[in-house]
Amino acid sequence: MTTVLADTTDFRTLLGEELGLHIGADDLDRPLADFPDWDSVLLLRMVTVVEAATGRRVAVADLLQARTFRQLYEAVAGR
Amino acid sequence: MTRTGGALGPTAPAGTWHDPGALRALRTLHRSGKLAAEYGAVRGLLARMPPADLPAAGQLLSRVDPRTVRRHAPDVAVVAVAVTGHSTVAPVVAPLTAELARHGLLLEARVAPYGAYLQDLMRPPAEGLPQVTLCLLDAHTVFDDVTVPWRVEDVESAARARLALLGGAVRAHQEAGRGLLVLNTVPLLRRFTHQLIDLRSRARLGAVWREFNCGLLALAERYPGVVTVDLDPLVGEGVPACEPRTAQYARARLSDALLAACARETAHVVRASLGRGRKVLVLDLDGTLWGGVLGEAGPDGVELGAGLRGEAFQEFQRVVAQLGSQGVLLAVSSKNDEALVREALRGHPAMLLREDSFVRVNANWKAKHDNLRDIADRLGLGLDGFVFADDSLFECGLVAERLPEVAVVRVDDEPALHPSALLADGWFDLFELTEADLARAARYRTEALREEFREDVGSYEEYLEGLGIEVTLRPPGEADLARVSQLTLRTNQFHLATERLEVPRVADWLERPGRHVIAVRARDRFGDHGLVGALFLRRDGGLLRIDNFVLSCRVFSRGIEGGCVAAVLDFARSTGADAVTGRYLPSPRNAAFASFYSDHGFTVLDRDPDAADGKHGKHAVHFRHDLATRVPAPAHLRLDAAFGPFDAPRNGQGEQS
Repeated sequence: MTTVLADTTDFRTLLGEELGLHIGADDLDRPLADFPDWDSVLLLRMVTVVEAATGRRVAVADLLQARTFRQLYEAVAGR
Repeated sequence: MTRTGGALGPTAPAGTWHDPGALRALRTLHRSGKLAAEYGAVRGLLARMPPADLPAAGQLLSRVDPRTVRRHAPDVAVVAVAVTGHSTVAPVVAPLTAELARHGLLLEARVAPYGAYLQDLMRPPAEGLPQVTLCLLDAHTVFDDVTVPWRVEDVESAARARLALLGGAVRAHQEAGRGLLVLNTVPLLRRFTHQLIDLRSRARLGAVWREFNCGLLALAERYPGVVTVDLDPLVGEGVPACEPRTAQYARARLSDALLAACARETAHVVRASLGRGRKVLVLDLDGTLWGGVLGEAGPDGVELGAGLRGEAFQEFQRVVAQLGSQGVLLAVSSKNDEALVREALRGHPAMLLREDSFVRVNANWKAKHDNLRDIADRLGLGLDGFVFADDSLFECGLVAERLPEVAVVRVDDEPALHPSALLADGWFDLFELTEADLARAARYRTEALREEFREDVGSYEEYLEGLGIEVTLRPPGEADLARVSQLTLRTNQFHLATERLEVPRVADWLERPGRHVIAVRARDRFGDHGLVGALFLRRDGGLLRIDNFVLSCRVFSRGIEGGCVAAVLDFARSTGADAVTGRYLPSPRNAAFASFYSDHGFTVLDRDPDAADGKHGKHAVHFRHDLATRVPAPAHLRLDAAFGPFDAPRNGQGEQS
């Protein structure tokens, strides 16, 4: 299952396909507050989607504290 | 294969049922920013989508602004839903968007802040009322009021107090006329039961919890505008009730999966409230109602009753019969020899459904979509009231493609799963079962006798004369309100100003001074049609307004509608009115009756007589009859009309005229 979410491109694809949120590579380090479409509901949905896709548990409390999409990626990828 | 016999075109969409490409297509639309513009394609994509893909679809759909969709698709039916509850409830919006879209409805959601449900329910009515309020409750609705250490008695008093508060809030919501309210029962979680280590207390907690849920269900019995979705059957099918991490960190106390299942049920409730429930179930035979191929095995050789699979098919017939007993009209469309089918229906000892269980049996080699059209024509019902169940991928795909308005249920090669497949979408759900529902199938069968009689007489006039139709107009009694409401909720064709009224709103019409609701009943020599129509009248100075007029399609074209108008005109004249006005509000299904009022002596008004109050649809067409000429009721009717206690019965108007 490790091929899923191998890198941030996979992560951006997943955000686009499952959550309808299209994030550019340049957007990874911008504050989440810059994205009016991003909200806590999407974050909760992301937990379900990532866990279903990777078969790994996500640290939800870490996700809630992430400030950028890169930090979100690191939390879901367990890095 | 006899079942797929006949001419199969090369374009047959075999194998496309539950198409994994449907979600891909939706993603492409979303990615290219065309989802709003192409919203018309969404329903078809969702119909073919495997259920597991629906949550993802819901996420995409809920990110599209409903206002943009309305700009592109002005005819789409919009449902405004206020979402509130005890905890974080916003995650229900995406699945609810997808579930409503499956039924052709566009969600406009307004999500309340965390924990605001009591205030939300009790708030005074505001402008732009939501049509529906969805109030989600969870275990914390009770446990937030319990502190550690707790005993069962503490939970019991917290549950009672919370139920009392909620009961008051629900009463306020309903008395303010704020529309449909959907609540849920609350699953009891193991994390609470097992904090009690003595088994006696644990059992008592189980009982206390069920009392709380009984109280929530009782609210739905008390108020006709309240529906409590019971989550127990959903949890019982293996849907997890809670996700501890999202519950803990985000106060999202019902799991994603349970919210999705609850959204599905809520969409069925909304569909029923809009009169979009289905009325007819058309079934295939081979592989659906029995196992094996009739043409090969013969009427006694099909798999039914005996053996493991035979019992499973019989069990499915039990489920179908149960639906039939509540007014769902059953019909057959089977690629088979008619004589063999009749023989099997009459003679197979294990058949629970018999020939007379069906209002129509179409066994032939024609395409199923043509058979469905034929059944719809003969019953006088629209195909959007049909559900079609078949085990053949090919037949399901073809019907879905040719008749997108028909709901298709694909049962597969495992008959033990047929019941859950048929019941998955609550296709036939309605608010209240009426006498008319229970008698419906028998009425359609007497209709067949009328048909035979009609074929025996020379002209249509002779036929009408011979029917001996009696029409009675009276204000409805208490017991009739559910049926009157149901006519407004479910009738689409002869519904001149399509207005859906739930029972409390019908009762409200009756109580207001200067307003009348008139129930129309009809019978003839073949039997009683029961309560088949309703008129909504309103006095406005010298005018008597017919605000709405609804008549069941069962009794079209028999002059009953004309008789009703004649009776209203007589009533207006005898109570000193100067004129009668009528109102026609176009809907997708009532175009055939656009000129109904002008056909009955009314003149078209060039302006809206109600424009001043701004309450009525700007697309409405208004008509006026100045009472100068008498419009006789059709002579073949025996009409008996009495509109109110002050209105002495005037019998036999049809004979006088």
